[in-house]
Amino acid sequence: MIDYSADLYDPIYAELGVPATMTAGATVANLIVLDKTRRKTVASGASRVQPHSNGAEVSSVGPGVNVRVYELAALGITAANWDGALLTFNGRSWIVRKGDVLGSPNGEDFGEVWLLLKEAAVG
Amino acid sequence: MVDVREDILARLLEVVAAIPNIRSAYRNNTEIAENQLPAVIVFDGDEETSDTQNRPSNSPIIVQMTPEIIIAEQSDEVGSDLTTLRRELIKLVLFDTELNNLIAQSSPRGNGAIRYLGCQTDLGWMRSLHGALRAQFMFKYTLRPEQL
Repeated sequence: MIDYSADLYDPIYAELGVPATMTAGATVANLIVLDKTRRKTVASGASRVQPHSNGAEVSSVGPGVNVRVYELAALGITAANWDGALLTFNGRSWIVRKGDVLGSPNGEDFGEVWLLLKEAAVG
Repeated sequence: MVDVREDILARLLEVVAAIPNIRSAYRNNTEIAENQLPAVIVFDGDEETSDTQNRPSNSPIIVQMTPEIIIAEQSDEVGSDLTTLRRELIKLVLFDTELNNLIAQSSPRGNGAIRYLGCQTDLGWMRSLHGALRAQFMFKYTLRPEQL
């Protein structure tokens, strides 16, 4: 059985990961994240009255990071307390609004979680 | 030349641009960036007529135009923000003197009208919560082919 943690995730995080600080309740943890913040668009106001009208496409970014679940667990952070955590990396601070567990052939505890973020400045 | 449709749409853009706290106003712009929010966009409306009588082809006819207006905003309180912007939008459009004069002048017999038809909302996450509100208005006026 391939060890995805040792053979895949750890080398990727060592090469592409950036340092981050997560504050979840009383826990303050230093960890490595993959910055997955990318351009995101939302179709706004697609018409239900005039079906040929698709409305406007609004572009922004969808902020997010991937984190190794086993790294978080070692720091005392789980699905029970990452919602609402403050995450600082690459010079910006964000609030975790939810985490999608991405799984792994070795089991979800040895995979990644995709933390979806929102701007900390607006709450 | 009198083109009531164009006059209404041009004025509509001026009216919605005056909504308090709107950063940018456009007509038929389908691509908006977050730094332009809150934004309002006027989309040219469909037109319909119901005139089926046997009359000369150049006779005046009653037209109903239904332009749509999108308000897009991004904030954690986007629901309340959109509600506030909608309130201002409806007030400004329905009470605008110039829009009402355009309708009245095109339909001196009093069969013109401006109506708010309703709205729909769309929500989604980006940097923060994104929301859009699409509102429909109906402008009923008289199209006079000889004036075009």
